[in-house]
Amino acid sequence: MNFGEMTPLQHITRRHFFSRCGIGLGSIAFSTLLSDVLRGQDAEELPAPMAPKAPRLRARARNVIYLFMAGGPSQLELFDYKPKLIALNGQPIPTSFIEGKRFAFMTSSHGTKLLGTRRAFRQHGNAGMWVSELFPHTATIVDKACFIRSCATNLFNHAPAKLFMNTGSGQFGRPSLGSWVTYGIGSESQNLPGFVVLQSGPRGPRGGAVNWASGFLPTTYQGVPLRSQGDPILDIANPSDVSPARQRRTLDAIRDLNLARLVETGDPEIATRLSAYEMAYRMQSSAPELIDLSGESPATLRLYGVEKDQPSFARNCLLARRLVERGVRFVQLYHTNWDSHGGPGENLQSDFEKVCRDVDQAQAALVHDLQSRGLLADTLVIWGGEFGRTPMGENRDTTGRNHHIDAFTMWMAGGGVKPGVILGQTDELGFNAVEDRAHVHDLHATILYLLGLDHLKLTFRFQGRDFRLTDVQGDLLTKLLA
Amino acid sequence: MPYPQPSPSTADLFQVAAPGYHPFSPRTRRPLRILISCCILISQPWINQGAAAPAKETAGTPAHWAFIPPVRPVVPHLPPPPPPPPSADARLGTSNQPNQPTIIAPVNPIDAFIRARLEQEHLAPSPEADRLTLVRRVALDLTGLPLPPAAVTLVLNDSRPDAYERLVDRLLASPHYGERWGRHWLDVARYADSNGYSIDAPRSVWKYRDWVIQALNSDLPYDQFVIEQLAGDLLPNATLDQQIATGFQRNTQINQEGGIDPEQFRVESIIDRVNTTGTAFLGLTVGCAQCHDHKFDPISQRDYYRLFAFFNSSIEDGHGKSAPEGMLEVPGVFVAEDALAKDIAEAQGDLGRYLDNKGSLVTEWENTLTPSQREQLPPEARSALGLLWPQRTTAQKRAAYSVFSPEDRDFKARVNRLAKLEKREPKPVTTLVMKEQAQPRDTFVFIKGDFTRPSERVTPGVIEALHPLSRAGNGAPSARAGATALNAVLLEHQTTNESASAGSSRLTRLDLARWLVSSENPLLARVAVNRVWQQYFGRGLVETENDFGTQGTPPSHPELLDWLACELMKPSCASASSSVPVGAWSLKHLHRLIVTSATYRQSSRIRPDLAAADPNNRWLGRQARLRLDAEIVRDVGLAASGLLAPKIGGPSVFPPQPDGVMRLGQLKRDWNVSTGADRYRRGLYTHLWRATPYPGHSVFDAPDAFSTCTRRIRSNTPLQALTLLNDEVFVEFARALAGRVLREGPSSDPGRLELAFRLCLGRLPSANESKRLLELLAAELNHLPEPSDSTSPGDRRAPAAPDSRLAGAWTTIARVLLNLDETITRE
Repeated sequence: MNFGEMTPLQHITRRHFFSRCGIGLGSIAFSTLLSDVLRGQDAEELPAPMAPKAPRLRARARNVIYLFMAGGPSQLELFDYKPKLIALNGQPIPTSFIEGKRFAFMTSSHGTKLLGTRRAFRQHGNAGMWVSELFPHTATIVDKACFIRSCATNLFNHAPAKLFMNTGSGQFGRPSLGSWVTYGIGSESQNLPGFVVLQSGPRGPRGGAVNWASGFLPTTYQGVPLRSQGDPILDIANPSDVSPARQRRTLDAIRDLNLARLVETGDPEIATRLSAYEMAYRMQSSAPELIDLSGESPATLRLYGVEKDQPSFARNCLLARRLVERGVRFVQLYHTNWDSHGGPGENLQSDFEKVCRDVDQAQAALVHDLQSRGLLADTLVIWGGEFGRTPMGENRDTTGRNHHIDAFTMWMAGGGVKPGVILGQTDELGFNAVEDRAHVHDLHATILYLLGLDHLKLTFRFQGRDFRLTDVQGDLLTKLLA
Repeated sequence: MPYPQPSPSTADLFQVAAPGYHPFSPRTRRPLRILISCCILISQPWINQGAAAPAKETAGTPAHWAFIPPVRPVVPHLPPPPPPPPSADARLGTSNQPNQPTIIAPVNPIDAFIRARLEQEHLAPSPEADRLTLVRRVALDLTGLPLPPAAVTLVLNDSRPDAYERLVDRLLASPHYGERWGRHWLDVARYADSNGYSIDAPRSVWKYRDWVIQALNSDLPYDQFVIEQLAGDLLPNATLDQQIATGFQRNTQINQEGGIDPEQFRVESIIDRVNTTGTAFLGLTVGCAQCHDHKFDPISQRDYYRLFAFFNSSIEDGHGKSAPEGMLEVPGVFVAEDALAKDIAEAQGDLGRYLDNKGSLVTEWENTLTPSQREQLPPEARSALGLLWPQRTTAQKRAAYSVFSPEDRDFKARVNRLAKLEKREPKPVTTLVMKEQAQPRDTFVFIKGDFTRPSERVTPGVIEALHPLSRAGNGAPSARAGATALNAVLLEHQTTNESASAGSSRLTRLDLARWLVSSENPLLARVAVNRVWQQYFGRGLVETENDFGTQGTPPSHPELLDWLACELMKPSCASASSSVPVGAWSLKHLHRLIVTSATYRQSSRIRPDLAAADPNNRWLGRQARLRLDAEIVRDVGLAASGLLAPKIGGPSVFPPQPDGVMRLGQLKRDWNVSTGADRYRRGLYTHLWRATPYPGHSVFDAPDAFSTCTRRIRSNTPLQALTLLNDEVFVEFARALAGRVLREGPSSDPGRLELAFRLCLGRLPSANESKRLLELLAAELNHLPEPSDSTSPGDRRAPAAPDSRLAGAWTTIARVLLNLDETITRE
């Protein structure tokens, strides 16, 4: 991480340092001094693990905004239109579909009767993508996005499935996608964390921190939660009785003493710490500036549906755009709750309508806004949950569906994705992906490819072997590449 | 080209070898095109005959160094050391200024091995670190706390030749030693205070944490330490402590999410236990063999499931249940009142979540009831008839459900748990322990590691390529010199049970534990000493501390590793400062050897010649500068500020943390900031919620407790800077440090600054540092808002200035000191 093999500090003796710097350490501009100390290195290139790195392949996307629909949205109410399922509503599903299969809630509410959607669907865009009435705004981006109706995963309980979708493994201790990406190509922003996590909805995502953990990668690459209100980042604000000037004076003294120690010990870790403190200071002004939406036009706020001072998915979408504008590499938004079993607060009627309303306008606005600002070409937008829902209804109070791993819908837009494409096909009941199955590993391989990373070569050695995000799997979904 | 018909037994292999089939390399995902037609023709008869391996070939012969038991190597002979410098009459003199740095003579065999290798590389060792650095280093390393200034002075004034060794002995005898080194073991044990997964309910297992601290403080021999944690419950007449020790394997997560298949997660827990056993005690990546034979090391998939079988017959973990099984009540220790209230809220929430899913069943049933049946319902249920399920209170749901399905075991367990809690009787503290169920479960090899695909049935057993397991003990434990008391007990147990065990050939966790601590085990001691070594030098002698297999890095100093391993198992060096013989498997003996060595005592300054010749410091021509562990960063601040509450053990505590942290989990868990002394406890007592870990620790690379952690990464990030600069905890430390300096220090500013330096860094400021910080102090006094009754800015140094201004200015100085790289580094 540090200087690679160069540690020119060793050549600078303590005496030399003090003879040049005298006693007025604080009076010398930091960058000049440090660049002098780090001979041959520009102060702009201080040791920083998050420094942007050139990818190995041609990068089609520079940034990622991942809209994670926590809980598993029902593809059958939104995107995967199945007239046959509607016709067979109430009939038991043929046993050939479910024989030997395991589901969540097997011993309680799991149902085997087919449930046709009650939502009206219409075809949109040049490709004629089916979108339901619940996503009127999303229907306007179908020509800009690629819809993958054949997604598949391995695990059917929330916490393990989220872990799988984020880290490519159901085992704990693996790095998340955002960590792999920032490990691979760093971040353009040196004023904000490279991997930022935002959250909206009634509760946090199941599993919490494990979803953006860096696993065996250095903690530097761990996702940093950012709040849309109050202090955006933990401990970003000065202590209550510390003015900005006082903070700067304090930092100057810390810097000078650390610098003296650097010269005395020759330990490049101190140089890294010096640069970390400078970045922390910059974050202190850039993070509040980031969440201050007063510079956004009323038209933009209306486009997203941001309401004044209200934390929401809409606000987070707007913040996501502002983050990638500022060079943040990987932004992940979690929105709860999509877990439509039919239990209290989780039915496929009013509860589902509400969560659809929470996201519809803003996610479409994000794509439109990114495009109108010329950012969509560089920014990969990903939308999806940890799994989908069964074609069968569940035995609960109201209408609901169980967790389903064999077929569900995700969409991607921008960042090298071919627009207006519908990828994959499910069977007539929407149970299995029968065409262009896109497993989580394939999605991961493709996302990395779009960022210029070869999923076979992005490795980290741990416990005696090279680990990959895609384990020993992963095929490129070439049909969705622009 | 016609191909002969293959026999059924080799059909698969033949198909793979046939043209038109393009297998993919699992690693590169590129087609394998190595099998061309003529090769297939040549191999075809062999395939057809059953594809037998050559008769004399044995797979995985353990020629790998780590699979051969260590033999105590000859200690290299070094030329006599140069004469000591004339002024060095005592190693820790009274002067603050170091003498001319000198390379000290080798102290013990560690130095002989290290120096011999350095000589081979034509490198010189570094001189001894200056005294103050060394005192701070050894205190932080052994106890995780800096010595108070007065204690440092005492050490410096100790002119006896063995002053340093005496200091080491005092530190090893400190109860804080167990906290410091216990935390490392808790990383391995993936200790946390919650169940993980999505619900992340709190759990009580801190008694296990305290057991670890106590075990290390009493220098429980490492073999015994291993046995009690893996099988304490199976020891004859197991003591309470021995049962608590088995909490080691209960630190697995518990999935209480709705709709799970409990068996799936029971299996997950056992997989974690097997993998942790492999990593912690053998340094092997046993986990690879869950799905297939290990690709590099001689661990078959069958071996894996035989290890699995040792853990497969314990009681249920509690997946999908309201509370885990295997909760041992600790007599005489009671849960505090507020903790009880939290438990009640937790149990109520859990019952509510359970009933939430029963609405349709109950309402359907209610619709079938006759009017007279309705009359007989309990009033609470009757009053709610006709209401939609979500509109009912938990009490109403509970009343209806208790009539609908009174025998539902999951329901009853939840109700009983709540009822018991609601009695508010003093509740004994519980802790999670291992316990065997009466009837052992069958264990099968799972195809591709998938628990839904059982194949061959296996019984408990060990890795075949390693040393054999023998129940009769081969006479080995008794014949072994220095056998610990426990081994004697085991031997007795073994002889008295011989007839019984002859009847039942089933092996238990106790057999596994005995196999692990056997002197024939080539790995246990090496892995243990290597982990200790890496804490002192930043890197193990085997850099891949969690992989001693063929893919791991070979040891930098193989003889030293083996010598240390043998020395741990069977000590030969007497303790320097006491006549008490050193027992087998004494960790304190190992620590003493390392920290008294000349190698450990070297300066950590980076030397140009070393940096060029050995940039990674593999040959240890110097010590390493190491950023302190997360908890110790906190502890140093607590100690410097004087806020530290040094109590050892007890329930986990809740220091202040920024708002909003708990919102990131599925269920918003409580964080009621501890009051009184508990606000200022050492970092290792901070409550660890797995889903929402304490940010002040995770930012400094504390492990997440999801799986075993044998080495912490040391990252260096802006978020660490923000924590030290702005977090309420560190601001409070700074204020307290300022107050302490003003209260306890002299009245002169330079004198105060000296005290502050000694508290934070264990040394005095240099002239430049002093000048720089006094400048800052003046600037702070200048800039701080004048009190309303102040006369003019010119009066700012007048004695009438309120104390708060002085305190404010010194708080800035304190913040600077607490943020220094040196403060959070062991030099």
